[in-house]
Amino acid sequence: MNNRDTMHNTDDTDDTDAIAAIRALARVEPGGRGGEAAGAAGQALLAAITSQEPPQDLPAAARPEIRPARRWLLRRPVLGLAAAVALATGVVAAPIVLRDGAPSSYAVTLDDGTATIEIRDFEDAAGLERRLKELKVPALVDHVPEGMMCREPRGKHVENIPRGLYSLPENIPGESEGWRMRINTRLFGPGQTFVWTISGKGGMTSTYLMEGPVAACEPVAVPTPPVEEPEFRTATVKGRSLQGLRVDEKTVGEVLPELRRRGKKVVFAIISVPPGNPGGFGIERTQKEPVGDGFVVWEAEENAEGVIRLLVTEQRLDRNPVYGGPRDAAFD
Amino acid sequence: MDDERRARFEAAYNRDYGLITAYAARRCDSPQDAADVVAETFTIAWRRVEELPEGAEATPWLYGVARKVLANHFRGDNRRRARTAELDAEMADLYGHSPDTEVELDAIGRAFRSLSEEDRELLSLVAWEGLEREEIATALGLSRNAVRIRLHRARKRLARALARAGEQPDARPGGQAEEQAGAGNPLVPSERSL
Repeated sequence: MNNRDTMHNTDDTDDTDAIAAIRALARVEPGGRGGEAAGAAGQALLAAITSQEPPQDLPAAARPEIRPARRWLLRRPVLGLAAAVALATGVVAAPIVLRDGAPSSYAVTLDDGTATIEIRDFEDAAGLERRLKELKVPALVDHVPEGMMCREPRGKHVENIPRGLYSLPENIPGESEGWRMRINTRLFGPGQTFVWTISGKGGMTSTYLMEGPVAACEPVAVPTPPVEEPEFRTATVKGRSLQGLRVDEKTVGEVLPELRRRGKKVVFAIISVPPGNPGGFGIERTQKEPVGDGFVVWEAEENAEGVIRLLVTEQRLDRNPVYGGPRDAAFD
Repeated sequence: MDDERRARFEAAYNRDYGLITAYAARRCDSPQDAADVVAETFTIAWRRVEELPEGAEATPWLYGVARKVLANHFRGDNRRRARTAELDAEMADLYGHSPDTEVELDAIGRAFRSLSEEDRELLSLVAWEGLEREEIATALGLSRNAVRIRLHRARKRLARALARAGEQPDARPGGQAEEQAGAGNPLVPSERSL
């Protein structure tokens, strides 16, 4: 035991050196704060978040879903959120904010080769594009609904973008919404086009410089992050393939032989739970390769092909994360 | 009831906004990504305000949420990130000074990035966020003992990587007990600067 203590002390000495070395790598100095909650960006984000529907305050039993907080679903922030935070880091991330009844949806001026574009409403993408064309700014502007994007690739991206080609979007002085950016049209190479897509009223812009022909925008859904696989559903309830079989809180070694005996194809979803295991889980990865016999099963799911997916963790948890407690309590 | 939840959320927000923005900025390549992570983290915290711990315990809980958001962000968003690479590059100047580009830190950065993502996360929570083991356990959803063991191994691996890079002032032998632990951790090339 003495030996172990000594070792531990020695290690700590090493550690301190190593830890000190990497402290210097931090973009924001260790212990430092990135932004102030009381600042404009912090307050804007707070207002945007808490103006949303307050969270449900129902007792677990009254929740419509049998599985409480089943997934770690990560929704995109709502209108303006991303922009509000970007201010904290010193950058305006180009929010598009619709201003109802604004007399002018956009304004474009050209001065000595630099086009200044002020935008207050992106619904009229075609008009903006026409105006840019009048000013000989080779630009394509598309507006797609929120959650959509133009199918990529639309053309050949210019790899080497001249410095100063366009400015970062910035506020229009004296106005709280809308934004302004500048494009230096003299920096465009021959055959190059500024390709601009705006999504939704509160969406973000993307801008590319392309050369050669550019395909028309074909709106497609933005791929959703692979957090939800709805094709799987609980297999052990009435009317499903494993009706009556209890797998929860058993080990993989206990469950697998029975599933094999039944000729089931089995995949393993290794789940993770939020700190404190309050109920709810995320799927870290799904694999066909068997996990260790000691892994703990929390529920079995099935898909239309009859494949069984076991929700497992490496360690035994203090309660079933799928149900936020004993499975029996969820089903009476 | 609503007021109580709102007060709890706002208290955590006011206390931890600066910490979470720093956390995101230290780990994201671009300010847009960092902004996404901060906004999503607090949006989730608001949605799950019932689970938000009271007082100072909220901080490691929020780090835990931010970590998940970050992981999912980079897992699901490769395509989007690739599409905005040009804009991101132009914005990089504004994102501020990145010490990793300095010559004397380059070797340290490379040594650090040669570690697995799990090691890097543990070490940076200590070195950058200054968390105690118990707070790390909360943030990562691990037992304190697991944190102690993993941290110990991660530190050994970092010390060894630094020694290889010639940056460890007093590199000393004796890490052989950890070799088998190191074997299971493939070198993960960094997908982003620090």
